[in-house]
Amino acid sequence: MTELTLPLRGLLARPLRTLLTVLGIALAVAGFVALTGLTAGVQHSFASGIDENGADLVVSQRAAFNLVSSTVPKALGSGLSAVPNVEAVSGVLLNITTADDNANIVMAGWPSDSFLWKDMHLVAGRIPAPGDQWPVILGESIATALDKRVGDTVELQFQPYQIVGIASFSSVLNQNSAIVPLEGLQQLLSREDVFTLYEVRLKRPLEKNDIAVARTRLIAAAPGFAVGDTEQFANSIRIFDLLKAIAQTISLVVMAMASVAVANTLLMAVNERTFEIGVLAALGWSPRRILRLILIEGVIMSAAGGVIGIVLGVLTMQMAAKTNFAAGLIVPYLSGWSIAQALIFVFIAGPLGALYPAWRATRLLPADALRRI
Amino acid sequence: MSLLVELSNVGRDFDGGRIVAVDGVSLAIEDDETVAIVGRSGSGKSTILNLVCGLDRPTRGEVRFEGRAVNGRAAWAAVRASRIGIVFQNFFLLQSLSARENIEVALLGNLGGARQRRVRALELLAHFGLAERATLLPAELSGGERQRLAIARALANRPKLLVADEPTGSLDVQTSQSVMGIIGNAHREFGTAVIVVTHDEDVAALCGRRVEISDGRIRSDSRTAAMPKPSANP
Ligand SMILES: Nc1ncnc2c1ncn2[C@@H]1O[C@H](COP(=O)(O)OP(=O)(O)OP(=O)(O)O)[C@@H](O)[C@H]1O
Ligand SMILES: [Mg+2]
Repeated sequence: MTELTLPLRGLLARPLRTLLTVLGIALAVAGFVALTGLTAGVQHSFASGIDENGADLVVSQRAAFNLVSSTVPKALGSGLSAVPNVEAVSGVLLNITTADDNANIVMAGWPSDSFLWKDMHLVAGRIPAPGDQWPVILGESIATALDKRVGDTVELQFQPYQIVGIASFSSVLNQNSAIVPLEGLQQLLSREDVFTLYEVRLKRPLEKNDIAVARTRLIAAAPGFAVGDTEQFANSIRIFDLLKAIAQTISLVVMAMASVAVANTLLMAVNERTFEIGVLAALGWSPRRILRLILIEGVIMSAAGGVIGIVLGVLTMQMAAKTNFAAGLIVPYLSGWSIAQALIFVFIAGPLGALYPAWRATRLLPADALRRI
Repeated sequence: MSLLVELSNVGRDFDGGRIVAVDGVSLAIEDDETVAIVGRSGSGKSTILNLVCGLDRPTRGEVRFEGRAVNGRAAWAAVRASRIGIVFQNFFLLQSLSARENIEVALLGNLGGARQRRVRALELLAHFGLAERATLLPAELSGGERQRLAIARALANRPKLLVADEPTGSLDVQTSQSVMGIIGNAHREFGTAVIVVTHDEDVAALCGRRVEISDGRIRSDSRTAAMPKPSANP
């Protein structure tokens, strides 16, 4: 037998309670993992969605609250185009709405002369032509989800659009997007003369610091606006910070609850096993060793809860991302760091909960402990 | 021969002084003695025994072990781990552990490796005729086997002092005699000093010294030569 034998037997002697505590910890960890994974996922999917269109840099409003609330005046365009090494710029107007009152969809309004149309990979139909009445290109996923084909109609922002093409993208966000001519969308949103952002494409081939140099020049051409790559743009959006703050707060509360669950379970275990602890003390176990015994039980439960929680969290996250509400907007994104955070949390919360019961166990006078049979 | 335990003017109150379980007890026990503590129920025998082992804390007075005053839980735990073996009335075996593990648990504080502990535990089990029972749980052992296991566990760390509270209390005459035989053997073979609490005069008669307690005080303290002294070469 080793020092682990007794804690393990202790936990197995109360299987149901141990299981419930482990489950409590697992749910807390799952909550944390799912929340952080989903929040990071929103941000990540926006970044990769914009990235895919072939833009190297994005000019947007500083610290915009959310993706669609950024406002950049149309007048900025000529100044940006004049920056050396810039191949093309394109204003983009973004809007999040529902398609046929059913699925979430990102609408992107592109000017008819935008460079963005060129890189599009059509799987059916064509790009809008002059003279089309309310034409739209749907991403492949949303088209499949809504069971739409070229020639069908889809209602976007309360306006029936004619589907002229279906395009395939690599990012989930774009796969679930609708691309429409800029003018119509501006009219629907009453946002004439402004864009959500400018996408900037630099001349090829790109040298190592071309992007940095171009960025400095673009900042000079658009004073007061944010210029960055797509990842930086996604990071600058305020609502993501808000989402993260909410996720972190909830996670913290949930973790505290897990800690209390561990404390409660072990406190009951200590009370129940007062006698056993008395026997160990009578056999010459030092208070330190008895403390360690209870702490180890806490750590074992936490470790088990942590591992189960991460698996559960990943599953929850995947399921949540598939709900109607989130589909197309959120691609779960779990970094190694947030898994590490969850584990660090667990290895603090569990032992912390075990500390008080363990301390209580060492305060018992052996004679008193042995009287309670 | 040297002084093993020494109680000087020891008292123990309960309930904030309303119960005086032990009062003004001075008792010195040599390292080769066998002592029976006798007295009526509630006279304070168990309380004295608990004080001797540091399981309880005296309200007054001082307990010295091998000439040193022992204070605090950790210090007493260390003394018990290496110097004192305790046999309780109900054996107090750990129910979730096998016979072998019950002995190993007592060795955990003292003996380094898991392998060493296992070897020593099996050695003790064999010595007490429990070799075949090593993997059984206490609940699967007979009453007599449980007793031997409890004694084996108490002797695991080769203690200087073996303490037993009513080791024969719940037993029939024959089994209780065999328990006393084992304890007597431990005394002879390992040179262990023995303190037995009992209200059985036959058991008391087997000891070299008889201390009678009533109302928490020593009434009489007499030496006989009933139990043979340990031999020079066990
Ligand atoms: N923890 C305690 N709290 C209150 N009273 C106690 C406590 N321990 C012992 N006593 C009281 O102290 C007195 C002596 O008790 P003790 O257990 O030492 O007697 P004993 O001689 O061992 O009796 P028995 O032969 O029945 O075991 C009793 O009156 C008992 O009720
Ligand atoms: Mg008693």
